[in-house]
Amino acid sequence: MTRDQDRLDRLDATWRDAPGLWGFLTTVDHKRIAARYIVTALLLMFLAGMLALDMRLQLSVPENTRMSPQLFNESFSLHGSTMLFLVSVPAMEAMAFWLVPLMLGARNMAFPRLGAFSYWLYLGGVLTLWIAHAMDITPDLGWFEYPPLSGPSYSPGHRADIWAQMITFTEVAALAASVNVAATILKMRPPGMTLARMPVFLWAMLIASIMTILSMPSIMLVTSMLIADRLVSTHFFSPAGGGDVLLFQHLFWFFGHPEVYIIFIPATGFISSIVETFSKRPIFGHSALVMSLMSIGALAFGLWVHHMFAVGLPQLGNGFYTAASMAIAVPAGLQIFCWIGTMWAGRPWLATPMLWVLGFVATFVVGGLSGVMTASAALDLQLTDTYFVVAHLHYVLIGGGIFPLFGAFCYWYPKATGRLMSERWGQIAFALIVGGFNLGFFPMHLLGLMGMPRRVYTYPAGMGWETLNQVATAGSAIAVLGGLVFVANALISYWRGAPSGPDPWGGSTLEWASASPAPSWNVAYTPVVDSLTPMWNDGRPLRAMDGIAIERREVLVTSVTDATPLYRQLSASPSIWPLIASLAVAAMFLGSIFTPWAVAIGAVPIGAALIGWFWPTRPRASTGPLRARS
Amino acid sequence: MVGTAMTRLFAMLPFLLLAGCDGIQTPLSPAGDQASALHQLLMLMTIVCGVVYGVVLVGIGWSLWRGHNHTTAFGDTPGDDRRLSRGLWTAAAAIVIGLTVLVVGSFIADRALFATRGKNAMEVRVTGHQWWWRIEYRDSTTGRLIETANELHLPLGRTTRLTLGSADVIHSFWVPNVSGKIDMIPGRRNTLDLTPRHLGWFRGQCSEFCGAQHAHMAFDVKVESPAAFDVWLATQTRPAPPPLDAVAARGQAVFAGPCAACHVVRGTDASGRAGPDLTHLASRHSIAAGTLPMTRGGLQGWIAQPQALKPGTSMPAVSLAPADADAVAHYLETLR
Amino acid sequence: MVRGLTIVLIAACLCGCSKEARDLGPSLPQTRPVDDNDARITAYQDNLYQVSQGGRYFSWYGCSSCHTDTAKGDLNLTDDRWHSGSGFAHVFGSIADRHGRLGFGARVPVEQLWQLTAYVRDLPKHYPEKRRRVELDQSSEPQGSSWSGPQ
Repeated sequence: MTRDQDRLDRLDATWRDAPGLWGFLTTVDHKRIAARYIVTALLLMFLAGMLALDMRLQLSVPENTRMSPQLFNESFSLHGSTMLFLVSVPAMEAMAFWLVPLMLGARNMAFPRLGAFSYWLYLGGVLTLWIAHAMDITPDLGWFEYPPLSGPSYSPGHRADIWAQMITFTEVAALAASVNVAATILKMRPPGMTLARMPVFLWAMLIASIMTILSMPSIMLVTSMLIADRLVSTHFFSPAGGGDVLLFQHLFWFFGHPEVYIIFIPATGFISSIVETFSKRPIFGHSALVMSLMSIGALAFGLWVHHMFAVGLPQLGNGFYTAASMAIAVPAGLQIFCWIGTMWAGRPWLATPMLWVLGFVATFVVGGLSGVMTASAALDLQLTDTYFVVAHLHYVLIGGGIFPLFGAFCYWYPKATGRLMSERWGQIAFALIVGGFNLGFFPMHLLGLMGMPRRVYTYPAGMGWETLNQVATAGSAIAVLGGLVFVANALISYWRGAPSGPDPWGGSTLEWASASPAPSWNVAYTPVVDSLTPMWNDGRPLRAMDGIAIERREVLVTSVTDATPLYRQLSASPSIWPLIASLAVAAMFLGSIFTPWAVAIGAVPIGAALIGWFWPTRPRASTGPLRARS
Repeated sequence: MVGTAMTRLFAMLPFLLLAGCDGIQTPLSPAGDQASALHQLLMLMTIVCGVVYGVVLVGIGWSLWRGHNHTTAFGDTPGDDRRLSRGLWTAAAAIVIGLTVLVVGSFIADRALFATRGKNAMEVRVTGHQWWWRIEYRDSTTGRLIETANELHLPLGRTTRLTLGSADVIHSFWVPNVSGKIDMIPGRRNTLDLTPRHLGWFRGQCSEFCGAQHAHMAFDVKVESPAAFDVWLATQTRPAPPPLDAVAARGQAVFAGPCAACHVVRGTDASGRAGPDLTHLASRHSIAAGTLPMTRGGLQGWIAQPQALKPGTSMPAVSLAPADADAVAHYLETLR
Repeated sequence: MVRGLTIVLIAACLCGCSKEARDLGPSLPQTRPVDDNDARITAYQDNLYQVSQGGRYFSWYGCSSCHTDTAKGDLNLTDDRWHSGSGFAHVFGSIADRHGRLGFGARVPVEQLWQLTAYVRDLPKHYPEKRRRVELDQSSEPQGSSWSGPQ
């Protein structure tokens, strides 16, 4: 079928946003929402990176008095909280928002207004933390503020409450985003894309979303309990009052461990897509990769105690949690094998996205192996709470999360903007970032083994830690420089990059079927899929079907396993209600930092906003119940 | 690319490792049974993990080289896929075997850490405060607790059983040369057995973020012969001797004002429990929880400007006239 | 509207939140308050960190052993009834000079007397549940000459 201009114009008219500020505030276009997420996350990554550089400068000299302990403690708390809650997870969600409908040949996500709502709520969390920082009420007890230090007796004021409520914002946003992504992947696939024919990227996003849904309640519960202890004097974490300090740790890490896999699993999706395209052959071991993802997702919920090996739990658990924590290296290792195998059997081509894959493997595997070392309950007693574990966590989060994210950014940049990033500057940025990161963080393994604990604002002279600290500072500075080069490349290419066309890399999945940049309606027709690599399709042309309305916003809903078309669904139009609802929720969350009455009083505007949101806009259907057609 | 930086780093590695090898606060220089078991496990893990990493790097290198020379047509190649499938099973088996070796090694080390449970050991109660260590030896004859602070003495070759608790927030007790760490958690009693095998001074540090001065919450550990230990403990049991000269007497009088409210000097009226016991302060290696050396300069500096040296510490700045400050420092130096 | 909001936000950021400020370090007044309107009073009375430090010294100097929650009459510090005036300098004087042979004026450094005064004047505003909660958490803190062991 050829695309005629009249069809495209009518699609434009149906799917476009209002112009100007009103369009900005009411859009439900998943690509615009995802772009906001990414820009915000990149800006926060930069701010958190500046905090990190500040800390590294402080630690370059022993007994340094440049930073006061209060400022340093605020810095590492803000750095960790920002990177983990406000950058890593939202960036992965953003990539899902942006790519999932495109990769499914769908016009929007399952719940368009919910997507807008999750961004506004995420922004609320960002502003809660960073405006508090500007007002000098920065949380200063780390990114996992253990009581009793964070309790009412040892942390006066509202700093810990700001931290806890920032988490509430971001977790509700993440929950909303995950429900959206999971529903879209399960129910809006193109005809013929059975679960067996679903690319690894979509499997990764689906599993990460389900993990988010299952783990988020734990942290919302524990931060609410902490606020309750501080605000209304409950005794959850007060041993003398019948509570238990370890309850916080168990509940926090029950979320905290899956959280890092929620960051890692989408990254494996990026790697699978990039390796497939740049090896010029379908990925080897699709089933193995999918089953590895499922096992990682399941295992991740049984490992949290390895964050608590030093608290003195009964010895009986040590063997179990050691074995489980090491066992997760099996599926991760098999994934690495499948990717390397694909390159081995293909014709790998080292464009910038593929360079990032190499950087990922070289870096993440170090993190995985240092993780195997810390997985031992016995050895962890020497390694935990030292710079060894700081090195480990950065190797897995940056090597296993940020490097794939940068690769994905380069890979899909042409699809988002219609331009190509400069290859030369991409290579320079890659070398600076990966080289600088390794130079910066490898010495930290050694520092930990030389006895340097973490979260210290200074250390004595004469311990022999100075040289490695200075090397770490130099490496980190180089990596930040590389980051600036990366961002400059992205910005300059936006205006001056070479035009890319719809499919500059010869990609295998459906997002490359739409134009670059993708228009608001994504695809002109619904693709029909009969292979794992629909854009290659063993050389056959890609079939498409018609039938979804173009005078109104409509999407196709298909069945969960076989993706047979079930019915056409009206897709939500732009609306101001997500913004209003998120403002009402933000008011309640912020108010409950100061008074418990905010929960009751705040429920009223939220109720009103939700009533406005869900007010029926069309009459009841008169055609009777839906029936699947045979 | 990545290669050059990494190769240079790995070349530096042995030298950097050796630099920290014989420190007084490192797990790489084990001086006790527990640390030795963990050191062996560390070596096993490093070797296994190093080999695995090498295999992965070789795998990538080989794949890129092979792909560069690949001349087959576009698409997947059945022969390759069969070989890769066999490789996948091999890789799975290898990973499982490798991890089993490590799990067994970890289990053995874990048993070594618990090997002394149930056996007789000298009891010491260590309590974490923000930001110092209250250390109490149980006198086996009288059953009383003999209190000191920030310095732990251990008899060589015998097991000492520490009962770890906290008076306020979570701390963590860590002497890497002798053993792994255990947290000190309010509402819980944790036990740590230490069996030192080498004489000398070691340093421990708090390993769980506990507030503003977590960085300056360290302590000294002296491993000495059982005879020397008995002498030391006997000295600690005795009260402070009376001041021998006029300056010391003046110092004691000044001390009885602001200092006695928080510090104990047994044998005098100073009985405040809020701060460390100072009865035998001058016999210690350092003061202010490992922040300053136990010297005249260290003492006077600490008393004059605690907030400048350890901002946020609970020790208040007491304004003393210079002659009084000198007298107090002189008096404290007599508290051996 | 947006411009007005931005101005408010920038103003809030610039003035910071002095209630929550945490000044660790040697910037201490080493003299007593001049009178009830001494300019330094707000830095203590309105600062949550200083008040909470006063609470900790309240236990460490043994004040809590007499001024318990169930104390009556003069010993009850939570009833907002003051022996000689509720002004800052008055309460400071009560603590430092009018505790007889306990002699806190000589035994407690001036900085800590400031913090204790701020805490004591804040006590009537604390909810009983909050006081009890803090008491439970701090039940293992030393109280004057006694310490009951770790929690």
